[in-house]
Amino acid sequence: MRRLPVYLLLDTSGSMTGEPIEAVKNGVQVMISSLRQNPQAIETAFISIITFDSVAKQVVPLTDLASFQMVDIKATGTTCLGEGLKLVSTCIDNEVAKTTAEQKGDWKPLVFIMTDGIPTDDWQSGLEEFKKRKTAYTVACAAGSGADSNLLKQITENVVSLDTADSQSIAKFFSWVSASIGVTSTKVEDAGKEVTGLGELPPPPSELNIVV
Amino acid sequence: MSDVKQLITQLFKSNNINVPAKRMNLFDKFLQDEQNIAAINTITQNQDWLMTKWKLKDRIAEIMQQPVRILNASVGKSYEAKFDFEKFGWKDITAYEFTGLEEAGLLYDEKTKQITGNPTQSGDIKIAFKFKVEGQPGDAPYNEKIIALIINPDPKSLWKNLESDKNDPYWKEDNVTEFAPIGDRHILVASKRGRAHANIASFREDDFAFKDLENGWSIVVVGDGAGSAKISRKGSVIACNGIVDYFQEKPSIESLLEFDELLQKHKAHTSEDTLKKLNHCVYNNLSKAVFQVHKQLEEFATKEGFQLKDLNSTLVFTLFKKYDIGYALLSFGVGDCPMAALNKDVSEVINLNWIDVGEFGGGTRFITMPEIFKNEKFATRFNFKLIDDFSYLILMSDGIYDSKFVVESNLPNIKKWQEFLKDLDGKNEDNIQVKLSIDNRDIVEQFSKWMDFWSIGNHDDRTLAIVF
Repeated sequence: MRRLPVYLLLDTSGSMTGEPIEAVKNGVQVMISSLRQNPQAIETAFISIITFDSVAKQVVPLTDLASFQMVDIKATGTTCLGEGLKLVSTCIDNEVAKTTAEQKGDWKPLVFIMTDGIPTDDWQSGLEEFKKRKTAYTVACAAGSGADSNLLKQITENVVSLDTADSQSIAKFFSWVSASIGVTSTKVEDAGKEVTGLGELPPPPSELNIVV
Repeated sequence: MSDVKQLITQLFKSNNINVPAKRMNLFDKFLQDEQNIAAINTITQNQDWLMTKWKLKDRIAEIMQQPVRILNASVGKSYEAKFDFEKFGWKDITAYEFTGLEEAGLLYDEKTKQITGNPTQSGDIKIAFKFKVEGQPGDAPYNEKIIALIINPDPKSLWKNLESDKNDPYWKEDNVTEFAPIGDRHILVASKRGRAHANIASFREDDFAFKDLENGWSIVVVGDGAGSAKISRKGSVIACNGIVDYFQEKPSIESLLEFDELLQKHKAHTSEDTLKKLNHCVYNNLSKAVFQVHKQLEEFATKEGFQLKDLNSTLVFTLFKKYDIGYALLSFGVGDCPMAALNKDVSEVINLNWIDVGEFGGGTRFITMPEIFKNEKFATRFNFKLIDDFSYLILMSDGIYDSKFVVESNLPNIKKWQEFLKDLDGKNEDNIQVKLSIDNRDIVEQFSKWMDFWSIGNHDDRTLAIVF
């Protein structure tokens, strides 16, 4: 079976303390519950959570939806986005199966990045690594005014922004991520075709601004 | 006594009362006073009482806050998860009970230290683990720790089976199974709408056709309409029927007579030259059919106001005819639908086409694509095989191939085909057997049931044609 790997790269720096981090945790929970109701997603989608603050950590390895359990995450430290991008690259290398003559590989991974601040590390070197990996699409979300969407534009052309990093906006972001994963899992199974960009995803809710 | 002295000295000290050396005798006497001793005892007892009480509270809070995760369950799957007090460090739990487990169809077994059962309803449920710890009186109320348990729905139950819209101009039957004589054999064929389509009331995009021709040839065709194309369901119909129509026409019937002559010559004096001529004849006849079908699709698209790619469909077919020296098999294929013949004792597989698979999904090719005709590999899409006999001639769409053969490298492997036949013979999860015998009166029903096999992640349309 071909899995659809999904990586969530989440900012857990100190500025996310309080409402934002709680909203992120809640958002992931709601997302997982709703994806479990989608027959295609529950069979194909595999989710991994990578957090980045002063360090980057894969807090949940690539896990099928049925066994997925959210872990507690805390907001602390700086914003090492570069480390996060490096880590997601090595995780893709280790976890996503390539197609060979003997086995059918996984679908190309989806990567969702969410950050509320400016990277504090050498993020370009992380980006260089990340660019070497093939993803079906990468979406970056600039949550609140502290994030720099122009910087995120250098990571991926698919950038959305939230005016404020409050619980309602964050919840909307995750419900859109959930819908996007759902649509992608349906497309790969039905049409045998990968989704490549924002244009093929469900329209984002009004809280999400598409950065052009 | 010195303990008492220390205690009171400490107490006085923390209230800024120092007992100087000159008052030590007085202090000693003070401590020996009966009333004072009683007061000191009360203090000590109260202190002990407070400390014990605090320790208990602290311990309960510790257990309450301790993260406890239990494996997710799934409806319809028997559940078994360790819930071991010792592992959690709960040796001091003196009494406990669960609420919410039974409602979820689960039980806790103290002996095996496991939660087991068969969950009946999905959801994120909360189980209350009620407990008392050492030090709590027997009549104390239970402490209640909430443990989250995720029960996944049975994926099978999530698929809806919604009828497709019969008023659609390109509607076709969702599921078809047929059993009929063909040539000197029989054909069993089914084409079924995939769950992915049934779930959203959409249409079957696969199709097939078969026919005995006047010139002694028989033909079997399979087409798989692309999921991403608007009216590929119609594309596969046009492609399949178009091929049959072409070979039924007079010019084609006559043109294939040349093949009979060439084969006689080949039989009499087999040489590279006779083989070359045969191959040439195959290419000539079959390529015309394929071109004509491509044209038909183009015309249909123009007439109905669609783009050609809206009709995207794969196309594979095999013509077979019995001669005194054996069977001639002529085939063509574009797309990812394998065709193969198995020899008489099923010890050898003869693959009749190579399949178009990309590095990633969606790399397949369609009969609607003009570029396939210009491609240097075009000639290799045609095949001519002369074999003594065959047990089965099999054509399938990717809905069968993806679940049963998975990768290309399995197609030349006879073991995989033997397994496939065993699977048809009942060696499968649901023990559904299709007895491939012309005397089997239930063959259509059995085959139709077999076609509904469950395969995770494979919910595409399925078409399978078996000539035997």
